[in-house]
Amino acid sequence: MDLTTPPPDLYGRPRPDRFIQRITAFGDRYSPALGGPLLRRSPRRPAPRPTPDLQLVVTRHEAAATDVVELHLADPSGSPLPRWQPGARLLLTLPSGRERHYSLCGDPADPRSYRIAVRRIADGGGGSVEIHDELHVGARLTARRPRNGFAFCAEPAVLLLAGGIGITPLLPMARQAARSGLDWHLVHAGRSADSMPFTDELRALDPGRVTLLTDDDRGVPDAVDLLAHAPAGAAVYCCGPAPMLAAVQAALDAPPARSLHFERFGAAPVPDGRPFTVRLGAEGPELPVPADRSALDVVREVRPELPYSCHQGFCGTCRVQLLSGVPEHRDRRLTEEEHAAGALLPCVSRAAEGETLVLDL
Amino acid sequence: MPRPTAPTTVHDSLVLEPRDVRFDWSQLPLHWIPDEPMATHTINVLHLLLPEGERWFVRVFKEALPMIRDEQLREEVLGFIGQEAIHAEAHQEVLDHLLGQGLDPRPYVRQISWLFHRILGEKPGLTERQRRENIIERVAFVAAIEHFTAFLGNWALNSPGLDRAKADPTMLDLLRWHGAEEVEHRSVAYDLMVHLDPGYLRRIRGMMVSGPLLVHLWVRGVRFMLAADPTLEGRIRPTWREAQQHVRRGLLPDPVKSIRSGLRYLRPGYHPTQEGSSSQALGYLATSPAARAAAR
Repeated sequence: MDLTTPPPDLYGRPRPDRFIQRITAFGDRYSPALGGPLLRRSPRRPAPRPTPDLQLVVTRHEAAATDVVELHLADPSGSPLPRWQPGARLLLTLPSGRERHYSLCGDPADPRSYRIAVRRIADGGGGSVEIHDELHVGARLTARRPRNGFAFCAEPAVLLLAGGIGITPLLPMARQAARSGLDWHLVHAGRSADSMPFTDELRALDPGRVTLLTDDDRGVPDAVDLLAHAPAGAAVYCCGPAPMLAAVQAALDAPPARSLHFERFGAAPVPDGRPFTVRLGAEGPELPVPADRSALDVVREVRPELPYSCHQGFCGTCRVQLLSGVPEHRDRRLTEEEHAAGALLPCVSRAAEGETLVLDL
Repeated sequence: MPRPTAPTTVHDSLVLEPRDVRFDWSQLPLHWIPDEPMATHTINVLHLLLPEGERWFVRVFKEALPMIRDEQLREEVLGFIGQEAIHAEAHQEVLDHLLGQGLDPRPYVRQISWLFHRILGEKPGLTERQRRENIIERVAFVAAIEHFTAFLGNWALNSPGLDRAKADPTMLDLLRWHGAEEVEHRSVAYDLMVHLDPGYLRRIRGMMVSGPLLVHLWVRGVRFMLAADPTLEGRIRPTWREAQQHVRRGLLPDPVKSIRSGLRYLRPGYHPTQEGSSSQALGYLATSPAARAAAR
């Protein structure tokens, strides 16, 4: 954009715009004045500090159902933990260094203990196996403070839909709904009765408002059937396997449900990816991008300051300039012209197998 | 970073992520509040200011990223950046649609573009310290403006007057989706400012500069839009009296209330969570047709 010619008058009159002239002059004095006394960060103040991680100790470790273990975590000195609200999750750093998110499934009113429940996934990334087999009472963990990507808004009527271990964030919501006297119903669908944790706790809240469905006796439930449990005008909270969420999203327009809350987890799995290479600058390091990871994730390991946001190719925050190489654009944000000019969103866009993309970084 | 403790009913520590949206503007009438050109164009000023303004927020926050020392705040800022980028494009679509209907917004937008690139953009020839101070100062401007966007967002979520006047449903969804995300992320710019400089002077300076500027740009924008509307042929001039009538019918937010709200920003114990409701905002986002259309 032209930064030397001031814009013309709003109504096409042949004279400079006085308002624009004045604020331009003001800005030209203001910017260099910053840094002077009263116009700067006080040098007496300490530098910004990070919030320290939580140090936690495992106080209980026991089976909650077949292949599901329930963990209670507390501050080692018994001090109160940061408060949380239904839907919140904890990012745990396991002793191996693996980081995993788990929804808090205890009672927010209990300030001394967090509870999580973990299903054993034998062929997963190893985090759940480590929690099942290697953690024991007394083990120390660090965690970030609870954060909430699935906040419960306590609408007057709610339907809570849980698939499998997806019950964890919904259990505290059910508890809050029962306490606040909302018109609520919870449906928990699982493979078999013995694999579903917290059934007694749920029934104790209000047996008439809890429906347990097992694939054993009825087969995988249909989304329309699930939504049929909704009280009139209900807000639906859904947590479960991706196909379940997708089916519920597709079926939602049918009444009686009115709105849908679900937890959004930034990056989706890479569909049909091939390994390729990115190079940072013409002379820079070459980084291999595996088939199942995004170029953004790989680049961020060496350039942690690189901005990003949606991980899904629609917000454009991570946009970088391509210097050479043939990309495979997978974003929904950039125009043909921008692609042609070398713009690339590394959160989703890739390249053919063996190709090298040189990025201006 | 120590944060003021909020009452437990307030949702805090929300994970912020941009939501993709789809709007179909092909059916949008020029006066999308039927027979209310002044109210329509008063709200239309948003479309003039926001695409450039929000792209500027994104640039400022990207510049501030390396100065952040707290991981949670950093993640919130990244979520904020993505949301603002989507907002800018959504309003740009409306601007393009206006041009297609014969209302040429470009003279005004050119000035706004000058404001955000030349006057409030990165200045050449500054020392490293001045450059850092300029980044923090602009974060303070954003924090003050975000106070108003949250105020307006809260108004949009609670504006039955627009439904009564049969305002275009797609435009209402844009205003309420955007408003809800503004309420959802209302603390981020403020928390970032306090993280970078907790000084009270910085905060009030942010409001003293951007508050009056915003009001002036708005009034200018309404005049411009009414003059540029080809169907009105310059017949309507905005008056405060008429604006007051629109306020009473719930078509526009109350300017007196918004100035009072701006003054609350100056209170020593202020925090953005004191204004608006995250529950209401998230509740709307779960119903927004545009957000649901893109989620499929």
